[in-house]
Amino acid sequence: MTLLKSITETQIWKSLFRHKYPDNPRDQALAVLSNVFLHLHPIKVKKSGVRMSFTWCMGGITFFLFLVETITGVLLMFYYRPTVEFAFNDIKALREHVPLGIMRELHRWGAHAMVISVWLHMLRVFLTGSYKPPREFNWNVGVILLVLTLLLSFTGYLLPWDQLAIWAVTVGSNMARAHPIIGHEGPGASFLQLGDVPLVTAASDVRFALISGRVVGAATLLRFYVLHCVAIPLGAGVLMAVHFWRVRKDGGISGPM
Amino acid sequence: MADATTKNPTSAPQDTRRSFLEGVAVGWTIFSAASAAGLLATARFLFPNDLFEPPTKFKIGPPSRFPGSKDGTVNEDFKSINGIWIVSTADEIYVLSTVCTHLGCTPNWLSAERKFKCPCHGSGFYSSGINFEGPAPRPLEKYKVSLAPDGQIEVDKSTKYQFELGQWEDPNSRLKLA
Amino acid sequence: MPEQIKDLVDWLLGPKIYFLLSVVGFWAMIQFRAFWTQAWVAGGIFVFGVVFFALSMGDRDFTLIVAKPDNVPISIMFVSIGFLLWLSFRKMVINDRLIAKGLPTFEARESRRRVFCWPDLVYSEFLCLIILSVLLLVWALYLKAPLEEPASSARTPNPSKAPWYFLGLQEMLVYYDPWLAGVVFPLQIITGLMAIPFIDINPKGNGYYTFKERPFAIVTYLFGFIVLWATLIVLGTFLRGPNWNFFGPYEFWDPHKVEALNNVNLSEYVYNVLLERALPSNILLRELPGFLAVALYFGALPPVLANFGFRKIYSQLGFIRFNVLANLLLFMAALPIKMLLRWAFNLKYIVAIPEYFFNI
Repeated sequence: MTLLKSITETQIWKSLFRHKYPDNPRDQALAVLSNVFLHLHPIKVKKSGVRMSFTWCMGGITFFLFLVETITGVLLMFYYRPTVEFAFNDIKALREHVPLGIMRELHRWGAHAMVISVWLHMLRVFLTGSYKPPREFNWNVGVILLVLTLLLSFTGYLLPWDQLAIWAVTVGSNMARAHPIIGHEGPGASFLQLGDVPLVTAASDVRFALISGRVVGAATLLRFYVLHCVAIPLGAGVLMAVHFWRVRKDGGISGPM
Repeated sequence: MADATTKNPTSAPQDTRRSFLEGVAVGWTIFSAASAAGLLATARFLFPNDLFEPPTKFKIGPPSRFPGSKDGTVNEDFKSINGIWIVSTADEIYVLSTVCTHLGCTPNWLSAERKFKCPCHGSGFYSSGINFEGPAPRPLEKYKVSLAPDGQIEVDKSTKYQFELGQWEDPNSRLKLA
Repeated sequence: MPEQIKDLVDWLLGPKIYFLLSVVGFWAMIQFRAFWTQAWVAGGIFVFGVVFFALSMGDRDFTLIVAKPDNVPISIMFVSIGFLLWLSFRKMVINDRLIAKGLPTFEARESRRRVFCWPDLVYSEFLCLIILSVLLLVWALYLKAPLEEPASSARTPNPSKAPWYFLGLQEMLVYYDPWLAGVVFPLQIITGLMAIPFIDINPKGNGYYTFKERPFAIVTYLFGFIVLWATLIVLGTFLRGPNWNFFGPYEFWDPHKVEALNNVNLSEYVYNVLLERALPSNILLRELPGFLAVALYFGALPPVLANFGFRKIYSQLGFIRFNVLANLLLFMAALPIKMLLRWAFNLKYIVAIPEYFFNI
C-alpha cells in the first residue's frame, strides 16, 4: 500500500493523472474529463445507454476494429511491396518467414468482422429509430462511413495479388465500365463523339481512372495500395471524428425523449 | 440622362454599391472558375498518358497453322498473352476477344459442349461469338485480322468489330481463305 | 444424414424456392414475433440449427463450401443477425405490450436514471475490447487467410466471385445489366439510406425498440436488409458454383452442369408472339413496349399509389416526400419483380438496346 502510495505521490504520476482513484463522483467525473481519449464520453449517460442489450456495443466494436486494422496494417506495410514483381511473394513470406505469422490473418478477419459490425450497428440504429431528429445528419455521416468501410475492404482485397484478388477486383471494377455516360460500355457513352473520334473509350472512362489502365495490372495495384493505406483511412478518420462529435452534440446515445 | 443621375442625391451611393456588388460578382466568378479548373486538372492527374501493356498489333503465324473445320476450330494458343481466340472454319479465320461482354471475365472454351462459358455469371457463346445463354447482352467482339506481306496473319486489337452494330460485315473482321 | 433429406434441402434451396421461402420466412418473422421470441421457441430453433449444421458437416460438399476460410464471416454474420433480430424483436414485443397498457417503455424507465461513464460505460467497453481481441486471435490462429495461385489475367477461376459483401450485387447481375445492378442500384441504395431520416417523419419510436408505432419503416428496412441483401449474400456464397450455376448445399460442384438459359426479350414477346410479325427495324419502335412499361412503372404508379392504398401516407408526407419514397420503393421492388418475370416467363430484358448498352 505504501509502495502504491509512493508511486501515486510522485511528481511524474501527478503530471499524468490529475485526479485521485475514481471511487467518488468528483474523481469519476475528472477521470473522464481530464483524459483526452476518454473525454469522447460525457461524464454521465442514460442507464439505457450503457445497457449492452440496447446498444449491442456495435459502434464501439467497429471503432475498435478500425484501430486493429490500423495497427496490423501499419505492421504489414513493413513487409509488403505493392508491385506485381513482389506483392504475391511478400504476402506468402508473411506466412512463412515472419515469427507469429498471423498478422495478415488478424488484418483480414478483422476487416471482415468490421464490415459485419458496421451493418449491425446500422441495424441497431435503425431499429431504435436513432436516426430521427436531431440525429439526421449523423445518420448520413454514418452511411458514408459504411461506404468507406466497404471501399477499404475492396481496395485491400487486391493487394495479395493472387487469383482471388485480381478476379474479384476485375469483376468489381468492370461495373464502373458500365456507368452511364462516363463508362465506355454504359448507355449514352457512344453519343459523346468529336466527329468520328469517340470520347469515352476503354482508355478514357471512369474505370480507366479507377484502375489506371485498360486492365487490372501493375498500376492498379499501386493505386489501390495508396487508396487502401492512405487516402480512404484519412477520409474515414476525419468522418469518424465528425461522427463521434455529433453523437455528443446530438444528445449522446439515443433514448426516449 | 447624365444630368439626372448627378442631380439625384441617392444615386451616388447606389452607384458605389452597384460597382461594389459587380466587383464581388466578378471576383467570385473568377474564384469559382479557377477552383473548377484546378479540380479538373487534378482529376486529369488520375488518367495516365503512358500505359505499360502488351502491344496491340502482332503476328500469329501463317494460316496453315490454323487448320479449319466445318463447325469452326478454336485455337487457344494466344489466350493467355494476347487475350484472343483464333477460330478457323472451312473458308475463313476470325479473331475473337477473350473478354466476356457482360463483366469482362475470361470465358473458357468447353470443347465437348462446343461453347465459350463465362465462369463469372454463366454467359455462353457459340464458337461464332454469338451469345445464346446467360446475362451477356451481346456477342463477343472481333478484332481486325489481315495477311501481312510475309505470309503471316496479323492481328490488330486496336480495331474491333461489334456484331450488334453490323460491323461483322466488314471484310477486315475476318480472313477469307481462297 | 439420409440422402432423401439432402435432396429435399437441395431442392428447397434452388434460387426460386429459396427466394420465395425467404420472403415467406420474413413475413412469418414479422407476423408471429410474439411467438418465436419466447425463450423456448428461439432456443429450440437454435438447437435445431446447430444439430442440422453438425449433421451436415458429415457431407463432403457441404463442408467444402462452409469451411472455406473466406466464407466463415458469412456464417458469423448469419448467426449474429439471427441472434440480434431475436433480441430486438423480443424488446419490441415487450415494449409494445407496455405501450398498449399505457405504461412507459423499458428504455423510458431506465433513461430517467443517469450513471457515471466511469466505471459503467468505460468498463463494459474495456470488456468488449478484451473479448473481441480474444475472439479475433483465436480466429486468426485457427484459420489461415486464403492465398491462391499468383494472379493471372488469362485464367479466370471458375466460379469467379466478388468479395463476399458484394455478392448480393453480383446476384443482381443475373437479372439486370451492369449499368443498373452495378451502378444505378448501389447508388440508389446509398441515396435511399441517406434519405431515410427525411422521409420517415414519424416522431414516435425515437430511442427505443417498438414495432407497432412504426411498422412500415421497420418492415421496409428489414425487407431490404434481410431479404434483398443478407440472404442474397448467403445465396451467392454458398449456392452459386461454377459458371454461376446454382448448386444445392449437398451438391457436387460440377463445372459441366448444363442449365438451359434461353431468355426472351419483351419486344420479342410483343411482336413475335402477340402480334405475330417480325421485329421492327427502328430501335425506338421495337422497344416501345418496354419504354411504355418502364414509364408507367415509374411515372404512373406513384400517383396511383398516392390515391389507393398509400392515401394516408401521402397525406402525411406531402408531395415531394411521397414521390421520393415511392421512387425508392419502386427501385427496391424492381429486383424481386424482375426475378419473378424471369422465372415465370424467361424474360431477359424489358428494354433491350444492346447497340447502345441500354438494357433494362
